[in-house]
Amino acid sequence: MKLLDRYNRVNLIAAIIIMLITGGIYYLAISSILINEKDKSLEVEEHEIFDYVNLNHRLPQVFESPDQQISFKQVPKNSVTRQFINTIYYKKYNEPESGRGLISFIDMGNAYYRILIVESKVETEDLIQIIFSITIGVILLLLLALVIINRLILNRLWQPFYNILGELKLFHVSDTRSIPTLDSSIDEFNELHKEVSAMATRVKQEYQNLKSFTENASHELLTPIAIINSKLDTLIQTENLNEGQSKLLTDLYGAVNRLNRLNQSMLLLVKVENNLLKDENLVDIKALTEEMVIQFEEIFQSKNLNVTYNLDEKQVYANRHLMEILLSNLLSNGIRHNYNGGEIKIELNNENLTIENTGDELSLKEEQIFTRFHKSSHSEGSGLGLTISKQICENFNFSLNYNFQKPYHQFRISF
Amino acid sequence: MKILIIEDEAGLRESIEAYFQEAGNICETADSYQAAMTKINLYSYDCILLDITLPGGSGIEILKTLKANNNKDGILIISAKNSLDDRLEGLDLGADDYLVKPFHLSELKARVSAIMRRKMYDGNNILQFNEISIDLSAKTVAVSDIPVKFTRKEFALLIYFIANKGKVVSKNAIAEHLWGDGIDLADNFDFIYSHIKNIRKKLIEAGAHDYIQAAYGMGYKFNDK
Repeated sequence: MKLLDRYNRVNLIAAIIIMLITGGIYYLAISSILINEKDKSLEVEEHEIFDYVNLNHRLPQVFESPDQQISFKQVPKNSVTRQFINTIYYKKYNEPESGRGLISFIDMGNAYYRILIVESKVETEDLIQIIFSITIGVILLLLLALVIINRLILNRLWQPFYNILGELKLFHVSDTRSIPTLDSSIDEFNELHKEVSAMATRVKQEYQNLKSFTENASHELLTPIAIINSKLDTLIQTENLNEGQSKLLTDLYGAVNRLNRLNQSMLLLVKVENNLLKDENLVDIKALTEEMVIQFEEIFQSKNLNVTYNLDEKQVYANRHLMEILLSNLLSNGIRHNYNGGEIKIELNNENLTIENTGDELSLKEEQIFTRFHKSSHSEGSGLGLTISKQICENFNFSLNYNFQKPYHQFRISF
Repeated sequence: MKILIIEDEAGLRESIEAYFQEAGNICETADSYQAAMTKINLYSYDCILLDITLPGGSGIEILKTLKANNNKDGILIISAKNSLDDRLEGLDLGADDYLVKPFHLSELKARVSAIMRRKMYDGNNILQFNEISIDLSAKTVAVSDIPVKFTRKEFALLIYFIANKGKVVSKNAIAEHLWGDGIDLADNFDFIYSHIKNIRKKLIEAGAHDYIQAAYGMGYKFNDK
């Protein structure tokens, strides 16, 4: 529920309750005042009767009157108490109306009369009704105005908040864009904006630090790796190494090679993530794929892999070097995780490039394979190849997906 | 061949020096910007191996000085900076080649040989090794004037071996030289073996010596005898 709706709802319920209560009180007050008025007029009439009887010693004659009825009735002495009553006012032709009556008595010595004076209350009620409806109308109008004004003003007032929220939604740590300044006179929003901006800057700074740490660490590793490499190159020149020593050297070479690849992959990943390789050209994917296949030819042969491909013309805007790395990574994977005598199928059309290979009979988990350093236990890869591939695809707005269609593991780049 | 090695890392400098000296070259070294500037102003070299990050200054400045002096020395940049911009800047300024650390000494040697060949190019681009003659422009090989058909990779490998003659070249170095560092298949070197086997077979069948020797399981050696 939106804050505004919540606020309006509370406001509205409170207003309606208060309105009902005050309405009731108002009604009671008005009707009691008007009935009081009516009672006074009845009393005036009673006095006139008393005055007439005192003067003439007989009951006055009763005339037809449109809004008043008086009747006398002889009753036993002292059987009547003076009181005001709500009664019914009977009219000759029209329907009966509600009326207000006064029961009184007059003692003429020899005769004792009950007096009933009834006046119609219709006009009073009409009056109450009109006053009441006008009041209700005004209140409703006021309420409506309040809701509309609230909505307009609150929307305007909250606009800075929605701006900040929008900025937060767009926030991305690797983005270089900073949160734009906020133009608001409200202290709370200014403070919120200040803190959000500061937090964003801090987070980005931390992220940059982390990335430059990776980059610097990888960079610093290059020199020692270069030294180990050159020392190994020197060491194998030694004459008369025995078989055990050669085995040790071969293993050392292998390990340094892996270390070097891992390091290069980390450096590359930082570069790709930072989008530092910006040089984009029209790359002929078909030609590039064919080149790659030729490049890999001996490796396919050494593993007796049957490679089939079906390539249509396709060109994309991308960095050539990165596209090479992408294709090379995917093909390397297809070879590494294949068995001797397996298959690799490459298909290129206008929408996507698909590389399929045989291998383990089990499907891989798509959400895991693209994460860093995720690799199968017997793999000698860096564990970064697919992460880099995915990142390269993201840089050029391609998507890279994995699918298992027995017996093929399928990687598909959608352009 | 007279070579100047400008490199501040002692370990790397000494290895390069030892590798080149064994092959009968004269090596001098400089471990800082100032030492390098002194040497390039006093002497001339056939080839200068130039590190970019040096104590006291940048290798780029040394390169600029060399070019400003109209120096004809071959220049190979060896740098840990593997960005396209640095590479382009180095080559634009007149360096002959750019090699990224870490590298194999055999790769360095092959690059230096290539630079030297280009420097000494006299219209006839033939690399002669005993009875084997290699036409670098036409990319053909002949043994005692009989042409032998070599594939592109076999051709590249033969030149690589000749540049590193008398040295054991590791399988890793061969793989990187032929397939670049884009191919990450460190666990599988069988494909190198078949290349070597083919080269040996072709050369022997054409009547050449059997120069290529396996060095235990580590690599191969191209013997000069």
